[in-house]
Amino acid sequence: MTETANPMLEVVGVSKSFQALRAVDNASLHVHRGEIVALIGPNGAGKTTLFNLVAGTLVPNEGRIVFLGSDIAGWRADRVCAAGIGRTFQIVQPFADMSVLENAMVGGFRGTTDRRLARRRAEMALRALEMWDQRERPASALTLPDRKKLEVARALATEPKLLLLDEVMAGLRPTETDHMVEAFRRLNAEHGLTILLIEHVMRAVMALAQRVYVLHHGVIISSGTPAEVTSDPKVLESYLGTAELH
Amino acid sequence: MNRSVVALLVLLGILLVLPLALDRYLLSVMILILYFAYVGQAWNVMMGFCGQLSIGHALFVGLGAYSAAALFQHFSIVPWVGMIVAVVVCVVMASFIGWLAFRFGIGGTYFALLTIAFAEFTRIGFEHFGWVGGTGGFFLRVTQQDQVDLMQLRGPPILFYYLALALATLAFVVCWWMLRGRLGFYFRAIRDNEEAARAAGVDVFRYKMYAVQISGGMTALAGVFFAFYYNNLFPDQVFHISRSIEIILAPIIGGIGTLFGPVLGAAVLTVASEGINQALSMAGYEVPGVKQILYGIALGAAIMFMPNGIWPVIARRLGFGRAYDGDD
Repeated sequence: MTETANPMLEVVGVSKSFQALRAVDNASLHVHRGEIVALIGPNGAGKTTLFNLVAGTLVPNEGRIVFLGSDIAGWRADRVCAAGIGRTFQIVQPFADMSVLENAMVGGFRGTTDRRLARRRAEMALRALEMWDQRERPASALTLPDRKKLEVARALATEPKLLLLDEVMAGLRPTETDHMVEAFRRLNAEHGLTILLIEHVMRAVMALAQRVYVLHHGVIISSGTPAEVTSDPKVLESYLGTAELH
Repeated sequence: MNRSVVALLVLLGILLVLPLALDRYLLSVMILILYFAYVGQAWNVMMGFCGQLSIGHALFVGLGAYSAAALFQHFSIVPWVGMIVAVVVCVVMASFIGWLAFRFGIGGTYFALLTIAFAEFTRIGFEHFGWVGGTGGFFLRVTQQDQVDLMQLRGPPILFYYLALALATLAFVVCWWMLRGRLGFYFRAIRDNEEAARAAGVDVFRYKMYAVQISGGMTALAGVFFAFYYNNLFPDQVFHISRSIEIILAPIIGGIGTLFGPVLGAAVLTVASEGINQALSMAGYEVPGVKQILYGIALGAAIMFMPNGIWPVIARRLGFGRAYDGDD
């Protein structure tokens, strides 16, 4: 890991308020090329809001979001995608009336009108997630775990440089989690895919992430290796409350 | 896929020689079917593919019709040129409606209302537009019907039969091609989920604009056809909301978002409506409204028992795959 080089993604002092609620408060984080970084925190901590700010679904009130040298804060989601950031949604959003393959091909058409290229990208993404055998099925007929995988495949088919994963392991069985972890590891190792993930499943976080950020009430309260973060008293406090500590 | 292509070519072959076996009345029914198949296909681009409901498509028929007709009547400009002007006029109008709606986030029902509003005030505008006849109607020069003048689009019904067949075939091929490419994939992605489409790299505003423009431009040609086939235009008829409803029934009954839906729907509806007419007149009933009631019952039944339209049901029975998918 080259800590000295410019990070691929750099979030600097970003804030987002919804009326009185400060969902993200002066948050900063960075992700280096080739890293897998996790963003954890209790429910309602503002993780998804932070993701939406990076992905262009929301516009920050303050701060900079620098991706590969450009400040992308406030860019439209499709421009962010074109710049090389793929994302999944916490609540899966498949194109219900399209087949699995067609869903992935929508992503595959990024920056090209070549149908064969779109199909190749889709095939690669579906194979990486072991979804290829289901390619003819309508997305609406998939089980929830498969929809989660499809969500990832669609983002992957856009050939992102950075992949944002929003709780893709939630609701998966442990063996399925392991499969997915394995898939991300392979993509990371073989294709140099950089990943920023929000995750509650600690089994996946511990297995995947090289570094972890902890968000609580919109504020980054801790960061470091998974081992460091999980033994940080502030983190334990945020998850368990102060009473249990005394 | 190959089976579908063969079936289609056989159908086209039959349609090419069919006029030989038809009398004047049946020929006019066939023209009507092809006309509705064409406009249905055009409307389907917007609603069926991209999920943007227009209940004001008569607007584009009317604008296209009046544009080409006025150029022909006032300046003797041949319809082939008038056609281009008609398409441009409709694309501009479609762009304006699309821009207004999509820029300000008007969607769903409200978008549908907007399309009605545009059709309605254009109708009222044309009723006061003396240059093209106002409420009194606009009439095209009619020449000897037995001479085919392809340049001026003057001639017997059979000329219009082949024109309508060409339009319907062209629309079918264009839509088939569209669905295979990025345009079709992006349209359908927007229809299914705008937010997810955006995250997958789709410029939603731009592609919705494309859908409205393509649909409006295609419908303009239907208008030109309408003008030169009927030779008379009344704002109250061409722009009326019942005309817009008529346009959307075929694809809805046939199967929204499918290629065969508009064609099949047009055939079923036109035959049903003409059949009811014939049956009633043979039975000696001339009660006004009976036809509409029977028609309504038939439509209700179709929607109740085949909510996705007729084509998906038939396609499953025949073992045809989906009309479009990733596989070649």
